[in-house]
Amino acid sequence: MTGSSSTETELVQRAARGDSDAFGALVQPHLSLFHNGIHRILGNMADTQDALQDALMSMHRDLPKFEGRSRFSSWGYRICLNAALMARRSRVRVHDMERPEPLALGPFDERGHHQGMDHLPEWQVEAQAHDLVEKQELRECLNRALDELPDSHRIVFVLKDLEDWDTEDIARHLQLTPGTVRQRLHRSRVLLQARLRTFVLGGSP
Amino acid sequence: MSLLPSCQQVQTELTEYAEGALPLPRRIGIWVHLLLCRVCAGFLRGLRAMPGLAKRSLAPPELTPEDATRALAEVQAALKRKNS
Repeated sequence: MTGSSSTETELVQRAARGDSDAFGALVQPHLSLFHNGIHRILGNMADTQDALQDALMSMHRDLPKFEGRSRFSSWGYRICLNAALMARRSRVRVHDMERPEPLALGPFDERGHHQGMDHLPEWQVEAQAHDLVEKQELRECLNRALDELPDSHRIVFVLKDLEDWDTEDIARHLQLTPGTVRQRLHRSRVLLQARLRTFVLGGSP
Repeated sequence: MSLLPSCQQVQTELTEYAEGALPLPRRIGIWVHLLLCRVCAGFLRGLRAMPGLAKRSLAPPELTPEDATRALAEVQAALKRKNS
């Protein structure tokens, strides 16, 4: 066992016995990760802070059940995502209702094929991503695009593409059919891709 | 109806295609279309690259946000009250 995991085990035991300082020391290194995960799902600071507080209380309550089979950060992160999902279920938002919008595709001709194929730029995401990844601009652009997504679509994108959940798991958690999950995922990816055109295309959009 | 789906149909179904959720004849049609159409093939590459790009770009900030620190402080205070 490594020194850090042994320290973590001690902190878990002390925190489970009610030592709030130990709980703070246990959670603090992962707080940014926990906050980020919740914020991706809920999309606003006020709800995020409330859900994080709920998640931390749940973590403390369930510490006696933590058996150390996974890392504390993974276990805690899962609790945070569940808290965010619970918070999301309990709030009523107008744009959570289905509001089908046309996909940002095309332009196509009357037979559904691209118009002027010779002039269409080609997506070069792989080539560009490595150079751009550190850029604050890209982060801000992605965050803005995520904010634009309806709640019902953002949650699917976050769980699938950022958290690597299975489509079936997402469908079960959100009480949707797998087909609806894939449809929302596709719409989200297309919108994000459209917003990132200036970053991922090899020239001007 | 043409055997090969159009660009619009392909781009509408690419996530289902990538997950293997389409019937076999449709998958073959899209597969052939992607071999022939560089724009749709590039579009698919873009969709496939999106998760990695988003993950790297939206990683947690190094500095803990203030409201996260506040949330932890409030939970610790509640625990102290409960134990006193």
